[in-house]
Amino acid sequence: MPLNDELQQQLIKDLLIESTEGLDRFDREMLVLEKGQGTPETLNVIFRVIHTIKGTAGCLGLPKIESVAHVGENLLDTLRGGKLTTTPEMITTLLAYADALRAMLNNLENTGNEGSADYSILLQQLQDFQTGKSPSSSAAPAPAPAPAAKQTWGLFDDESAVPAVPVAVVASIPPAPDAPPSTPSAPPPPPVLVENAGVEKEGAARGHSVSDSAIRVDVGQLDKLMNLVGELVLARNQIVQFTNQAQDATFINASQRLNNITTELQEGVMKTRMQPIGNIWAKFPRVVRDVSLELGKSVQLVMEGKETDLDRTIIEAIKDPLTHIVRNAIDHGIEMPDARRAAGKPEEGVLILRAFHEGGQVNIEIMDDGHGINVARVKQKAVEKGLVTPENAARMSDRESFNLIFLPGFSTAEKITNVSGRGVGMDVVKTNIEKIGGSVDVHSEAGHGSTIKIKIPLTLAIIPALIVTSRSERFAIPQVSLLELVRLEADQAKKGIEMLYGAPVYRLRGQLLPLAYLNKELALDPSASAPAAPGTTDARGSEAAAVNIVILQADGRQFGLVVDEINDTEEIVVKPLAKQFKGINCFAGATIMGDGKVALILDVLGLAQHANVINEVRDRSLTDKVKTDGRASDRQTLLLFDVGAGGRMAIPLSMVARLEEFPRSQVERSGSQEVVQYRGQILPLIRVADYVRAAAGADSQGGDLMQVVVYSEQGRSVGLVVGSINDIVEESVTVKRDAAGDGILGSAVIQNKVTDLLDVAAVIRSADPSFYRAEAGAAPDLKVA
Amino acid sequence: MSDSKQFCTFFINGLFFGIEVLKVQEVIRYQEMTSVPLAPSTIRGLINLRGQIVTAIDLRRRLELPARGEDQLPMNVVVRTDDGAVSLLVDEIGDVVEIQDDVRERPPETLRGVARELVTGVYKLKERLLLVLDTEKTVTLTAA
Amino acid sequence: MPIKTIITVDDAATMRKMISFTLKGAGHDVIEAGDGVEALKTLQMRQVDLVLTDVNMPNMDGITLTRSLRALPQFAHTPIVLLTTESSPEKKAEGKAAGATGWIVKPFQQEQLLAVVSKVLGI
Repeated sequence: MPLNDELQQQLIKDLLIESTEGLDRFDREMLVLEKGQGTPETLNVIFRVIHTIKGTAGCLGLPKIESVAHVGENLLDTLRGGKLTTTPEMITTLLAYADALRAMLNNLENTGNEGSADYSILLQQLQDFQTGKSPSSSAAPAPAPAPAAKQTWGLFDDESAVPAVPVAVVASIPPAPDAPPSTPSAPPPPPVLVENAGVEKEGAARGHSVSDSAIRVDVGQLDKLMNLVGELVLARNQIVQFTNQAQDATFINASQRLNNITTELQEGVMKTRMQPIGNIWAKFPRVVRDVSLELGKSVQLVMEGKETDLDRTIIEAIKDPLTHIVRNAIDHGIEMPDARRAAGKPEEGVLILRAFHEGGQVNIEIMDDGHGINVARVKQKAVEKGLVTPENAARMSDRESFNLIFLPGFSTAEKITNVSGRGVGMDVVKTNIEKIGGSVDVHSEAGHGSTIKIKIPLTLAIIPALIVTSRSERFAIPQVSLLELVRLEADQAKKGIEMLYGAPVYRLRGQLLPLAYLNKELALDPSASAPAAPGTTDARGSEAAAVNIVILQADGRQFGLVVDEINDTEEIVVKPLAKQFKGINCFAGATIMGDGKVALILDVLGLAQHANVINEVRDRSLTDKVKTDGRASDRQTLLLFDVGAGGRMAIPLSMVARLEEFPRSQVERSGSQEVVQYRGQILPLIRVADYVRAAAGADSQGGDLMQVVVYSEQGRSVGLVVGSINDIVEESVTVKRDAAGDGILGSAVIQNKVTDLLDVAAVIRSADPSFYRAEAGAAPDLKVA
Repeated sequence: MSDSKQFCTFFINGLFFGIEVLKVQEVIRYQEMTSVPLAPSTIRGLINLRGQIVTAIDLRRRLELPARGEDQLPMNVVVRTDDGAVSLLVDEIGDVVEIQDDVRERPPETLRGVARELVTGVYKLKERLLLVLDTEKTVTLTAA
Repeated sequence: MPIKTIITVDDAATMRKMISFTLKGAGHDVIEAGDGVEALKTLQMRQVDLVLTDVNMPNMDGITLTRSLRALPQFAHTPIVLLTTESSPEKKAEGKAAGATGWIVKPFQQEQLLAVVSKVLGI
């Protein structure tokens, strides 16, 4: 009656779970021991973990795991017996030994066999610890004995009855008095119940008592249940919708009850899939210890909110990203002890992991008190690696700069270290987190440390979503990406939506947001394929009156999505799309609406990329385009403006950081310089009209608002005050130099009109000679034909 | 005793096709569909099959046959695939036929283009030829 | 073959499951306990024909369990078999002193388990 295959598989699965938990406990207790906080029970717990693995592996026919476990068990048994005390090197070796067991178990899980890795050196070390330190110990290690020649069982009062009894074993049993409770030769009795109840440490307390009120449930079973509940929610939605038209009170009541029960059931089932985040944090003390030891740093790990529950799918998905962030924080964030001392900080760095629920999301923060992110260096690296153009880098805010570390191909490490230089970058971390609908953001303060904030939806299967309509098709937008809704009436739309970079933008409280039109991006209607003019959503219709903008956030950046109609917010059940749709990244899945019809769920990040509204992507493609176009045909994208009566001028759009409007009342004076407060900084203003010929005092026109072109160079900005912004054009221009001088580079015919090209550098230089001082020769050049 | 197989049959543009009965989950009448923007034109949309979202592939387009008339509503032949259920849109449903394996022939040379790749075998029946489709290949769309 | 009731005491669920499967396959009734304390609690309400207990367990180990059971009149003669590891002759001695009936070395084959059970139960 051999174990049948199915049972064998099941038992191996159990062994994997049991051993993984056990080895985590092993690590935890080892660290307790290392800190000198161990109790007698600590070593017992550690020993039992290995003992159990050995016994079970043996019975399941896993000889390699069994024999490796055996060697460690010997050493641990000796330690436990008090014949040997632990040393730091021993603990390091034992932790490595636990990793070896993990590796074999992983192999078993992934390939079905124990793997071929050679652990003889590690095992030799363990044996050396045992023999080297206590050569005369009575528990001197026997090399794992060959089971074949061994006696496997026996009865104490009938030793001879056992087949193939090697006498040696029986003889080794010392004669003992008959009476319990103890023999002179026996070690002190193990701690008994009463003693344990008080002393029990966390590790020991997580026993596997069968009578525990918790049971193990197959994850597949839970997933099935979750799917069924999903179906039930859909059916409920349909019925509730139907009820809205119903008259029958009994039916309405029943429907109401169904509604409530379904909601409760849904919550209940979702709760069964929840696990505390502490489950994955449990391994971090070990990670932090190993990494800081390797780097010669001293780090204290603080964990807050271990009990915060997450859906198990999410737990799985964030395990690796979190580990990477933690390693990174120690490697790149926290300084060496001497550097910390020099900076007036305690030598021991602090790494805080914090988890909490907020607004239907799980927030996870990883904070270190290291030196923070060096903005200048991050920018420089990003430019060197060609990830952003120098111009873009210069005009980035600190926050935008921090997020550069998430770009593919970015790594601030001067040298690739063993710790974080593993070929996985923060970009992978970001991708993985975004895959599960989460977002990641980084904040940093020079000298004080960095914080990485991760936000993740509580559960994946059922999410709140905003339903929108475009061309009478419904789409669901996950609420996590949603920032706000804006409705512009026709006249507002005309003013509010501008064209910039050849694409529509909307100015939301001073911030320029790129706009994407859902109709156009999804090619919903052939006639809508041309970019809609500002202020119209629908080139054909009379309903062109108002514009509905859904302000979304993807990748830490914001953009506006123009849709025909904004409907309701609903709880939707996310269903994956079939393989036939793999190539389309605009959709995150599909769902069934209350009326039984299918609606697609928008993938906000994918859509943003598709529409080219995410800055990096967009800036890069634009820069490339300008470059190639420039070479090929001298086409340039130019900003057209005037500086008063007849003063029609242009500058290359690539020199424009932003376009802003400031009320005149906001202008202040700093000495003789006009300034405004802008994004937390002082922005000096230069009235262009004062520096170019033939335009004196022209800026007095216009109302209360001043039109300002913000120009940035090497982190410094200046505002060029102009009369009005007129247009952005892409044209091939031929510059006539004869008109050059007095703040003018030359002139060209643009849109059939003679237009002067502003010499930005000259104007700034004459207004503020110190502006370019920092980097001689870095003045911008206008490409001229 | 020679092997026999049962086929679920249907018509597309006058041609007579079949799919092994074991591969067919069910046959249902026309369902309202949600089209998927940016998807290959072969995909007509998504249907709600009792809470399950199923992709509908238009076999006329898949086989590069002329489009169905506007007024003609297709039927769904829902097949089981490695990737879950997929609906194949056909013009009209035929009977389930049982065929001895020995009447099987290789696809005729006149069968060209995509159809040649998707048709695994041809059975000569009394009145007409039955073209048997490979479901896995049929539902696998190469980059459109 | 008479049906016997056997309790298997082990903190490793996998081990319990395997033992339980083997013994049930041979037609016995099997109950499980995760450590000595749990076994004691269970056995205060139930009589069994055989106790199979692991030696190393949290809360209460197999030796202590044996000693505790032997102190109870209803378990004075119930066979108790220790599941032990080959490298611990001392444990065997201790087990014998505590009043255990026999031992079986982990890991074992199913046949060996059945052999010792038959032997001890005299069936």
